[in-house]
Amino acid sequence: MIKMSYVKKSIITAVCIALCVLLPMAFHAIPNAGNILGPMHIPVLLCGLICGWPFGLLCGIAGPAVSSLMTGMPVIAYLPSMMIELAVYGLVAGLVMQLIKTKSTYANLYISLIAALLSGRVVAGITRALIFSPGSYSMSAWITSYFITCWPGLLLQLALIPSIVFALQKAKLIPGCYSYNNEL
Amino acid sequence: MKYPLTGKFLPGKSCIHQLDARTKLLCLFFILATLVTASSPLNYLLLLGIMLILIYLGQIPLAAAFSSIRRTWLFFLTIFLMNALFFDDGSPIWSWGIFHLSKGGILQGTHVVVTVIMVMILGNILTCTTAPMALTTAIGYLIKPLKLFRIPTDDIAMIIGTAITFIPTLFEEIETIKKAQTARGARFESKRLKQRISALFPLVIPVFLSAFRRADELAQAMEARGYRKAGKRTSKKAPSLPLQDRAVLISCFLMCITQYYVFTYLFI
Repeated sequence: MIKMSYVKKSIITAVCIALCVLLPMAFHAIPNAGNILGPMHIPVLLCGLICGWPFGLLCGIAGPAVSSLMTGMPVIAYLPSMMIELAVYGLVAGLVMQLIKTKSTYANLYISLIAALLSGRVVAGITRALIFSPGSYSMSAWITSYFITCWPGLLLQLALIPSIVFALQKAKLIPGCYSYNNEL
Repeated sequence: MKYPLTGKFLPGKSCIHQLDARTKLLCLFFILATLVTASSPLNYLLLLGIMLILIYLGQIPLAAAFSSIRRTWLFFLTIFLMNALFFDDGSPIWSWGIFHLSKGGILQGTHVVVTVIMVMILGNILTCTTAPMALTTAIGYLIKPLKLFRIPTDDIAMIIGTAITFIPTLFEEIETIKKAQTARGARFESKRLKQRISALFPLVIPVFLSAFRRADELAQAMEARGYRKAGKRTSKKAPSLPLQDRAVLISCFLMCITQYYVFTYLFI
């Protein structure tokens, strides 16, 4: 099994953080694309899947923070909740990918992705209800904002991320079987 | 896709530019804390005055300091209306179905919008007067205490620094890919939403391939030059803050504490 070096994982994480800034800008041709398509989620999930949970976690925290500093979006008031959501995406995607070992790479990718997308939304809802908007956040608001509004984004992520992973493998930019040494 | 004016570093020789990035970051946190705890209009006016002085001292063009607010006016309007129409304090001025316009809601909406606008202006002041690399170094220095929990803060600072330096390169790369896809018939500027959406999908995979290729090349170059994990790295600059920075930091801290104390315990 070819191992990805620590330096390569670090630089891939840096590239994913940079894409967290640039992809939303590219998607802004579509009105309200940030909320509906969640372009920032793609590099974070990809980083967690490819580089492992510590790097995914870092990408989830640093991606929105750098984007907020460089482009003003997300607005700083919404930055903490978004950082938590994306950090959970990166963390869970990496952890599940490391723990699940089925024979099919597709199955591994989809199980990790679905687990990450669900847990990120659950944690984001809990933090909003308990910390960011205590008392004024309801179950219906959570379902609307995290599932109904952004269902095109969910489909996009589920369709695009495995395709990107396979394209990267085919281009020999990442090894066929990821290796995880969880040191950051 | 326009490169945003917001957050772009504007080189200069003003006194704000001369300050250490660590001082500016810490001062930003102090002012943010004061802003979050602010409650009276006078408090907001005082903070706005401080921001205008900072913009003047930093010689920042007003367009750069306020551009992000102009671009996101629709967002602010939505936030205001959501607070004004859905905040039910029991005595609505006007009601229609689920909408209740109340004085409490209007005040709440104004409070949220003003706070967010001020936070954006503060962020713009910081990023317009501080080079991205200086900011990264400062973040790396300020998160150093996390080393106690075995978090590799130097590596985190290196990753964030590399990410910031990658942004203009990848931006150009995206533009090139966009032009190539336009030549193949993609319609990014189409007035039809469906065409704009379908034009974006062939952009994503080439962007990732190109970005990962660059990452691979850089990682190989770094490894060839002996860059490895761990080990204590040395820094070019002395870590201690200059005297004027310490004075600014202490003054800012005292000003924020005084303002908080005055408006929390004496005015109300």
